[in-house]
Amino acid sequence: MSTAIRTGGARSAPAYREILARLFGARLADKIARPGATRLIIVIGVFILWEVGVTFFGDPLFVSPPSEVMEAFGGLVDDKAIVGAVTTTFWEVAVGFAMSVASGVLIGLAVGLNIFTRRSIFPVILLLYATPQVVFLPLVIMYFGIGSASKIAFGVSHGIFPIIVTVVAGVQNLSPVLLTSARSMGANRRQILRWVVFPHMVPSLFTGMRLGMTGVLLGVLLAELYVSSGGIGYYTRLYTDTFAPAKVFSLILVLATFAILLNELARRAEFHFNRWRG
Amino acid sequence: MKLPQKLVQRAVQVGFLLSLLLAWHLLTATGMVNPLILPTVPSVWKEFTLLVASGSYWPHLRITLYEYFVAISIAIPSGLVIGYLVSRSRYAIRVFDPLFSSLYAVPLIILLPVYILYFGLGPGSKMAVGATIGFFPVVLNTIAGFGTVDPLYVTAARSMGATGTQMFRHVMVPAAFPVVLTGMRIGLILAFLSILGTETIVSLSGLGHQIVTLGELLKTSAMFAYIAFAIIFSFLLNWVVSTAEAKGRRHAP
Amino acid sequence: MNSRDAAIKITDVSHAFGTEGDQRRVVALEHSTLDVARGELLSLIGPSGCGKSTLLNIIGGLLSASHGAVTINGQPVRGPLPKSVAYVFQENALFPWRTVIQNIELALTFQGAQGKDRSRDAYEALEAVGLADFADHYPSQLSGGMKQRCQLARALSLKTDILLMDEPFGALDEQTRMVLGEDLSVLLARTGKTIVFVTHSLSEAVFLADRVAVFTARPGRIKKVISVDEAHPRQPDFMTSPKLSALRNELYELLHDEIRKTMIGTGEVVESTPAPARRAHR
Repeated sequence: MSTAIRTGGARSAPAYREILARLFGARLADKIARPGATRLIIVIGVFILWEVGVTFFGDPLFVSPPSEVMEAFGGLVDDKAIVGAVTTTFWEVAVGFAMSVASGVLIGLAVGLNIFTRRSIFPVILLLYATPQVVFLPLVIMYFGIGSASKIAFGVSHGIFPIIVTVVAGVQNLSPVLLTSARSMGANRRQILRWVVFPHMVPSLFTGMRLGMTGVLLGVLLAELYVSSGGIGYYTRLYTDTFAPAKVFSLILVLATFAILLNELARRAEFHFNRWRG
Repeated sequence: MKLPQKLVQRAVQVGFLLSLLLAWHLLTATGMVNPLILPTVPSVWKEFTLLVASGSYWPHLRITLYEYFVAISIAIPSGLVIGYLVSRSRYAIRVFDPLFSSLYAVPLIILLPVYILYFGLGPGSKMAVGATIGFFPVVLNTIAGFGTVDPLYVTAARSMGATGTQMFRHVMVPAAFPVVLTGMRIGLILAFLSILGTETIVSLSGLGHQIVTLGELLKTSAMFAYIAFAIIFSFLLNWVVSTAEAKGRRHAP
Repeated sequence: MNSRDAAIKITDVSHAFGTEGDQRRVVALEHSTLDVARGELLSLIGPSGCGKSTLLNIIGGLLSASHGAVTINGQPVRGPLPKSVAYVFQENALFPWRTVIQNIELALTFQGAQGKDRSRDAYEALEAVGLADFADHYPSQLSGGMKQRCQLARALSLKTDILLMDEPFGALDEQTRMVLGEDLSVLLARTGKTIVFVTHSLSEAVFLADRVAVFTARPGRIKKVISVDEAHPRQPDFMTSPKLSALRNELYELLHDEIRKTMIGTGEVVESTPAPARRAHR
């Protein structure tokens, strides 16, 4: 262990940067050695390994190299059924999310604003949140049918809880001194709700929405995987059963990219609205 | 007479759950709902006591537990090791942490069909899903735990002449422990839930599969009994893991 | 002072953070030379960022100086010297996951002491600071003053010749500081160690130290070294004596401009000297 306290930052790893500098010169090395660039290099490296490894060693029934996956992607975009399925899934997620947020905020405010309900009903809600909802999946399908309704329902049941919990948390840590000062300035109940409670809760809400989005997506996908009727889940299973790995990977990549983008978007919104927290 | 607050709260909670139970009972006892869709409370209770007493849950639970233990014995150690290795360099953290976080945001259950392709419909694919999903919370929390050890502790230990091994054993591990422990708790629970889920979706055996089979056979009372059993078991697991975590966190920095 | 009596010799030490040519480079310390006599209590005082903590870290071997050299007992300092130098930090550096006595035992383990002796030495050190009853408490259960006393006990248990303290009472309230300062003087008079401590408090510096080294604003250089000619252990009435006040005032004169210079640099004040009071015109 070196005796000196490292006084450099995390902008670039000293050893790694040295090697790059020798190969490419100092200024280029600085650009490449940034964490974001390294991540990109790693991802590209994985893709290259994937391509090479699979082309020489892979059984085409089970794996496909990225080049074929890209081709398959092109094919999928043309296939009307697929596009319809993907659209269905995203539509189900969107509706599920909207419903989760709307009801989540309402329930969260109703439970969170009153100390009594917070202490009595909220623990029940937490209990429901902790149940392994997946065991209800067959029941949900039984009750809501095999169409979109069951997917949306299952999505909502996964997405609503994080929103309720974060709304209650956001309301809960509202320091009483803020309420007192608002009242001393003559605000009535509605004004307090609108100008004090709501803005205070918004940052937590965005955290909840990010988690809720993940939850809705999970719920919808689970339902789709279970039920054979449509959506990304269905087609993933179909292509697996028919040994078309290129299409499977292609769909998975589409889903993964979408999920990551959504999550990133939600994270930025969350960060933006959390700025005053300090 | 003012009742103690806690008592009233408890009463409301119990009342809430009881009224749900009552509504359920009324719906079925009056014949308003077809018992094939919503079985009567007594029939479910009968099936439940039967399954617990006879131990008929065991063959299914055994498989689920087997898949679970294999999954976590892959996920936890690899998460810990990889997390620790990444945490050693600030640069590596900045490179890998966002990568792992992004992957964590994807509903990894979508890999199930791929795993079925490779491992078949048996326990293998379930273990694979459980291991994959359980891995991420562990690795992310391990990176966070070891990466945010207060440098003051490291400096103090160095000034007292601690060697590398001593530093790891007496400073890094205890300091990182609470966060890592939380990661393990989340990983352990998520792994179980995902295995239960995959068994429900497509499987030949296991607890989740049993629930689905009973549903398909329209043996709804027994199905409800098994659902209740699965929920109770999962709460039990939750409780065990959370208590272990709380005990481990007693004297966190 | 005879060089041979110097426990610590600091020769022309400079230190800069950041790499050459980088515009974020900060020169913390510049051309500092000082000898610390064996058994002496030296205080380092100066405005924020003047490099006094940096110098302390260099003496202790936690930091390698960019330029210059430090020797301890004739040996050049190249890394931590757990057998010669013990540290007391400003923030609480006791490990919260261990009890007080376990913390001290761990320090002894790091230093390389044997098992049986550890418990006994640890206990003795706690007794010396009057906290033997709290041996099995966790740091979180103690007050700020008690935590610092435990840190002191930990440092004392290592039985080193030299003790380095970085604003040991910085995080404590004034009353606790007062009491701990008096206790420290009594304790240190007994042990005869060589001590270097960094502080912001002028009274504390004069009350405890044999000599006070005053630093300039960044880049820090030793502006002047003042001697405090008073026997150890220092009595409580020394704090209110005219002698201390005079020395304190001298320190104030030396430091005042340096402090203002530092504050301008950080944007906290606008003018270099306050405008004279204007009471006549209304």
